[in-house]
Amino acid sequence: MQKIQPYTVLAVDDNLLNLKMIEKSLSREGYQVFIAGNGSEGRAIAREKHPDLILLDIEMPGENGFDVIKKLKQDAATNPIPVIFLTGVSDVNAKLKGFDLGAVDYITKPFHPLEVLARVRIHLKLSIATNSLIQDQAAKLLQVAEAQNAMLPAPQNFPDATFGVYYKSLEEAGGDFYDVLTISEYITGYFVADFAGHDIRTSYLTASVKALLAQNCTPLYSPGESMKMVNAVLQQMLPPEKYLTACYLHLNRSTMTMTLVNAGHPPAACLPVQGDAYLVKSRGDVLGMFSDAHFGVLRMKVTRGDRFLVYSDGLVESVDKKINWAAGARKLLPMFQNLRAFSCADAPRQLIRHLPGAHKIPEDDVVVLCIEV
Amino acid sequence: MDYKHLADQLDMSEEEFSELAALFVTITRADLKKIRQGVSNDNPSRAAAAAHSIKGAAGNLGFTHMAELAKKMEALANAGNLDNFDVYIMDLETRVEALAAT
Repeated sequence: MQKIQPYTVLAVDDNLLNLKMIEKSLSREGYQVFIAGNGSEGRAIAREKHPDLILLDIEMPGENGFDVIKKLKQDAATNPIPVIFLTGVSDVNAKLKGFDLGAVDYITKPFHPLEVLARVRIHLKLSIATNSLIQDQAAKLLQVAEAQNAMLPAPQNFPDATFGVYYKSLEEAGGDFYDVLTISEYITGYFVADFAGHDIRTSYLTASVKALLAQNCTPLYSPGESMKMVNAVLQQMLPPEKYLTACYLHLNRSTMTMTLVNAGHPPAACLPVQGDAYLVKSRGDVLGMFSDAHFGVLRMKVTRGDRFLVYSDGLVESVDKKINWAAGARKLLPMFQNLRAFSCADAPRQLIRHLPGAHKIPEDDVVVLCIEV
Repeated sequence: MDYKHLADQLDMSEEEFSELAALFVTITRADLKKIRQGVSNDNPSRAAAAAHSIKGAAGNLGFTHMAELAKKMEALANAGNLDNFDVYIMDLETRVEALAAT
């Protein structure tokens, strides 16, 4: 017969009789009960055994229940375990404080074993339901992320577009997006965008944007017109307060001209074959917000071997370090220049590697596109 | 002491209940000792903590009179008042020993 894993409950109370009572009433109903006579012992057992639920006395000598729950909630290993307080105090403020600290319920002392059992049962059910909901959502997000990644073009599939890319999404489904569009034999469009906020809705929107780009980035429209068309549809389609910043780089390898359309996005960087790297700045309104949006359009002649760097603000901005785009983008130039020795395909990854503090978790999604003429 | 009634109230068998009652006797004897020490050393907070423990345990087992007595002692000790504690201690002791004898 298969052994059934019992649900586990940890009871923490300085009163041995209370512990024994809880142990008796729960174990005869099929629960495995761990007991601890003080707060620090309770935390140690919680870390080691990872019980499904904790019953925690408030008034204990040494670490009291409030101290214990604070530490349990700060510890990633014990944070998700639901905690029910046991208390002889019926003071509302004390109860509210406990809820604030993360308790799910209270049992007032003296307690009846059947009440303990009933509350343990209901909170285990709730916890199981919540966990399955989270797992369900995570699985859905993963599907979205997979679909999203499948939409992002890989350099090897666009040999004529000569570009390298680094893409990192902070959450399962990110708010940054890029696309590479073959407009004609010699003309390629490179699009990098950043949705304001990254939530599940944003992830679905990236599919729509990709379709819009395919429809509107054609030889029929100038790059500026393409973005105006995309903007008009997005403005109708996006929920209020939702917009995206974007940079559209249109490269004609026949006429050797580059056109850059900026929609509220950080400036692109240019590394000419000869000379120092510089920022290609043009101002423009964000996409999807205003029907009469104006975009900064900049045209320039290019030489074979020139490189452009288009990226999202996650690369240069740091809220933690109070670095804004402008300052961040300037700091990027010498780093970009130093990457000349690396191939275009490898440059974005190398850039990320050489960023100061690159080992840290990124604060935002990051996409970096390096394009070579 | 009607064990059966108290056990029924807690949805326990008499055997389970008498096991807990025996544990109660042991713990309460130790707590009473702490209260005595608190009184003789003029340490009301020690007496209050031990009275608190008795209150909780007695309350849970349905020994309401002992729980009430311990509650009164806890409140007095918390207020720094250990007067008449000898009387309360005697009262509690008598009841605990009666319980032990059953």
